[in-house]
Amino acid sequence: MRTYENIMIVHPDKVGDEYNAIVEKFKGVLSDLNANLLKVDEWGARKLVYPVKKQGRGSYVLTVFEGEPTIIDEFERRLRLDESIIKFQTVQLEKGFVEDDSAAAAEEGQGAEEEE
Amino acid sequence: MAERSTSGAPAKRSVRRRFSRRKGCRFCADSTLKIDYKEVRNLRYFVTERGKIVPRRISGNCAEHQRKIREAIKRARNIALLPFTAGHSLD
Repeated sequence: MRTYENIMIVHPDKVGDEYNAIVEKFKGVLSDLNANLLKVDEWGARKLVYPVKKQGRGSYVLTVFEGEPTIIDEFERRLRLDESIIKFQTVQLEKGFVEDDSAAAAEEGQGAEEEE
Repeated sequence: MAERSTSGAPAKRSVRRRFSRRKGCRFCADSTLKIDYKEVRNLRYFVTERGKIVPRRISGNCAEHQRKIREAIKRARNIALLPFTAGHSLD
């Protein structure tokens, strides 16, 4: 099991129920793939720094999940098929998932000291 | 012989260091600073107005942290949080 972080940009025309349906759909896709959802963070509509698929805005959705490396291909294939996702990026988190930044920093510091 | 060498060097040096530059890597000095591609506000400092990555000789980063900054900037660019270049037209 590895920890991954995915950001997808939802088409700005999808608002309200349509938007929620898309977010729920991909949460469903992840659980179908036996991924363990750790966090879903909706940043809301933001201005894109450069136009993507002729859109100047988009809704960012950040998801953090644990899963086998093999599920990433399938998950990204599904993202690619959905026209309402204008861009996405999946990144592997080497250090695993850390919820609170300050607490995480303290834990990491302790861990390093113990090893030495 | 000894008198000759002392005259020029200090003046030349002051010209070269016209603007002050902080020495050393800020991430090594303060371990609480985190490099994250999602926090664009912190990365802005390492990107020029045209969107180029600021070189290490200017930013003062050590090799390790410059590498992390570089990775973070490239990730942020890929997901439209930072520009590849100035002059992306939005219409």
